[in-house]
Amino acid sequence: MMALLLDGLIVLALVSLAVQAISGRSLFRGIIHFVVFGLTMALAWARIGAPDLAMAEAAIGAGLTGALMMVAYRRLVAQGDNHSPRAPAQKSRLAIPIAVGSGLLVGVIGLGALLADNPPGEAGLIVLETLPEYGLGNAITGVLLLFRGLDTLLEIAVLLTALLAARALAGTGDSSATARTQHPETPLVGALLAVVIPLTILVAVHLLRAGTHETGGAFQAGAVLAAAGVLLVLSGRVSRTDTAGPLVRLGILAGLSAFILIGLMPLLYGEALLTLPGMWSIYLIETAMMVSIAAALILLFADAGGLKRDRRG
Amino acid sequence: MADLGLYVFAAALLFGIGVYGLIVARHLMRKLFAINIMGNAIFILMVTAARPLDGAPDPVPQALVLTGIVIAVSATAFALALMVRLHRETGQVSLSADNESGGDDG
Repeated sequence: MMALLLDGLIVLALVSLAVQAISGRSLFRGIIHFVVFGLTMALAWARIGAPDLAMAEAAIGAGLTGALMMVAYRRLVAQGDNHSPRAPAQKSRLAIPIAVGSGLLVGVIGLGALLADNPPGEAGLIVLETLPEYGLGNAITGVLLLFRGLDTLLEIAVLLTALLAARALAGTGDSSATARTQHPETPLVGALLAVVIPLTILVAVHLLRAGTHETGGAFQAGAVLAAAGVLLVLSGRVSRTDTAGPLVRLGILAGLSAFILIGLMPLLYGEALLTLPGMWSIYLIETAMMVSIAAALILLFADAGGLKRDRRG
Repeated sequence: MADLGLYVFAAALLFGIGVYGLIVARHLMRKLFAINIMGNAIFILMVTAARPLDGAPDPVPQALVLTGIVIAVSATAFALALMVRLHRETGQVSLSADNESGGDDG
């Protein structure tokens, strides 16, 4: 009974937040509602029994998407977007029927799959059988690296492509719109960073290490690490540059290149592409991916080609 | 373990809301919210519709969804960059086809 109440509340919150995000009064409130929607999604994942997804959703889905949206919003305002808070929605007679129809379609597919008396997924059973051979305890990390290595490799490539495309679109000479405000800094910022940044790095490394046998993994760790970077950008500890220094370039490319190099190695002794040679390779790839994911997300947030340390007195 | 039927119901509602928002919303960022909400609805559907193994959800769709979440944030970041650039070039934050059908950008 208690569980049903909890699930009911989560579903109610998801639906009302989605409605608010889309039709709320001002765009800024929409962003806030969307971020809270993401956090509620994380709760829903935890209830469904998918803690890895809950963590990814909280860090990536809610946290970084929200940060990216707020930065884009601020850039629109800086470019003089005087979008009125109560912009009339577009009138469309077909909108409601199409929305109801597609919602029904999703519901029927879901209920059909839920009620059908089909056997458990064979792929999942094979994964659970194979994992002990590799000494992996987290089935999701196992699927991502052992069975769907190509997907994971391409996923990093997509993130990199998004970064390149965003950089190509950003053009030059708009740094005035994004320049950080020159408020005098309160002494608390330094003290806060001194505590929060090491803790964030600790959490990220823990998530990375834990990813092989319990909840966690490179994506969650990378997102947490990116949050530390976002904090450093916001507090002006690192500043934007137009071109990336060698260290930043290495960071961006580390995940993709480590994955490709280790993935090609098995070809030398006649095994299939992307057959990972052992636990060391999993740790190496996951670490490199964490660094790359964090670097790409920070650069997307900062809208910068590179970052450099900003020394202050 | 939660009542999965309830979450399938939520997925259906969220997908409907997302489709409605995608059609009706004028500001591109709101359209992005709508697309992300639709995506989340499908993620819920993929995980809940799979038969559980040993009481826990099947890891294969979960891994697919984890990939999906990262791809979604990449695509959203790219779309936001497109939107900012569009605004810089034209001063608009909506698509021109939307303006023709519904007056000027309010």
